[in-house]
Amino acid sequence: MQNAKDSFYAALRARLAVINPERTVLLRGTVRPGILVEEAEAPFAQLPNDVFVLRWLGLGADLDLAATMASEECEVIYQTCGTQSFGGLDRGRALSAMDEELLAMLQPHYTPKLNYTVQPSEELLTKVFWDDAAFGPVVVQRDRLSRTAKVLVYSYQEQGE
Amino acid sequence: MAASWFQNPAPVVRRVRAYFAPVNRITGVPVLFDPSEQATFNLVAPPSPWIGLGWIEGFARKALSKSAAVLTGIPAGALEQVRSTLEAQVSFEFLSWTKLTMALATGSQHMNVLAPASGAAPAADGAQASPAVVVQAGSTASAIVLNATDAAKFAAGSMIAVDGDYAGQTGYVGSPVSGAYVRQALSDVDYIRRVTFNVGLVTQVSNGTLTLAEPLPGGTPAAGAKLQGLVGFVDREGGSFYQEWSGLFVLQGSQGERVSFYYPRLQPLSGAEETLVALDSQQKGGHARVLLKAQLMALPVIDPEDGERVLCYRSFLPAANALV
Repeated sequence: MQNAKDSFYAALRARLAVINPERTVLLRGTVRPGILVEEAEAPFAQLPNDVFVLRWLGLGADLDLAATMASEECEVIYQTCGTQSFGGLDRGRALSAMDEELLAMLQPHYTPKLNYTVQPSEELLTKVFWDDAAFGPVVVQRDRLSRTAKVLVYSYQEQGE
Repeated sequence: MAASWFQNPAPVVRRVRAYFAPVNRITGVPVLFDPSEQATFNLVAPPSPWIGLGWIEGFARKALSKSAAVLTGIPAGALEQVRSTLEAQVSFEFLSWTKLTMALATGSQHMNVLAPASGAAPAADGAQASPAVVVQAGSTASAIVLNATDAAKFAAGSMIAVDGDYAGQTGYVGSPVSGAYVRQALSDVDYIRRVTFNVGLVTQVSNGTLTLAEPLPGGTPAAGAKLQGLVGFVDREGGSFYQEWSGLFVLQGSQGERVSFYYPRLQPLSGAEETLVALDSQQKGGHARVLLKAQLMALPVIDPEDGERVLCYRSFLPAANALV
């Protein structure tokens, strides 16, 4: 299942780099596309603004198939205060832009599954696929707007996984 | 050692995509779909002459063919089975309203409402149309050349129909799709343009040329073709004409596998119906999307491979490296 989670994140990260190359984050001294996996970083006191944060939640498995199918719930959290140059008055527009970027990142609804624990990464035989995102309401905290979207990500367990 | 195969469970799909191609009504020849050569086509660019009609909802197939037992002995027991009737139906809902989706979701001919002539008497199919203009040489499927006076009558956003004049002929009319069957001579010179599928949207008018958003389904206009503006479409409950199309429905699996259902001959089974779907299921009285409901009956063809009469072909292309 870790391969599916890694592949989902890597696919979204590569797509974001194309959709909006200017959305970046400086993490551990490296500038990367503005999307990260919460459980793979040091704990945050406060989630970063203007970055997509993936948080893995629920897990289900269908064992009655020829290959076990895992379904994992991914919560995508993002928030913004807008830009300084507009005094934060563009925070609604900034959040809308992130909504659109997330929608675009999730299409197409599949990506090859890769094993990133080996160098170079190895493409496996099956694909990771997911449903449409379920968007939650905007949460307002003073000048910060945030939203979460939940995506169910599916994958088949392959031999040796 | 890395695995080289996997067991793929039943296909998981999100949606179904529909494609149609006109049956040649004069020769009675449907359009072929070859799973060996065409089954992996790009879903957004189907092979000609298939026309993509986008995603559909509620796709359901019904196999209604019946078998009967040949009984022998006392007491009688089944010796073997024979197929006594051949019947299959397909139903689904289109997610868009276009000339073609409306036509496929109605029971009879589907007509263009031509722009009316000034002061014309009202009529349920649309009043007498404003005069057609001659399509000039040099036109293509995407750019219609008119003389300057005629071109000035159209603007970006105009909808047009392009086809020949009706000249009293009987039988199937319309090019390339037979839009109607004329049983007895009519008096409306615009009748073919009323039923033609050769319609388009003008995006630009420049130097006497109408540029279209999409190519005309019939390709380059034939010599003698004329053009008229249209304002919309109309169809009727009743009538005696049945449209006939070849249909192709494609299910793309999550692992790259593909299931295709090819119906060589499909005819409408019922009149025009719509399905209302509330945009917000919590608000039944709120906005609702109106979907065109299509119910089609499959007609048989003879498979030249072995002479069998069949209604539908289901083909399956497994995912790469999946056990078969």
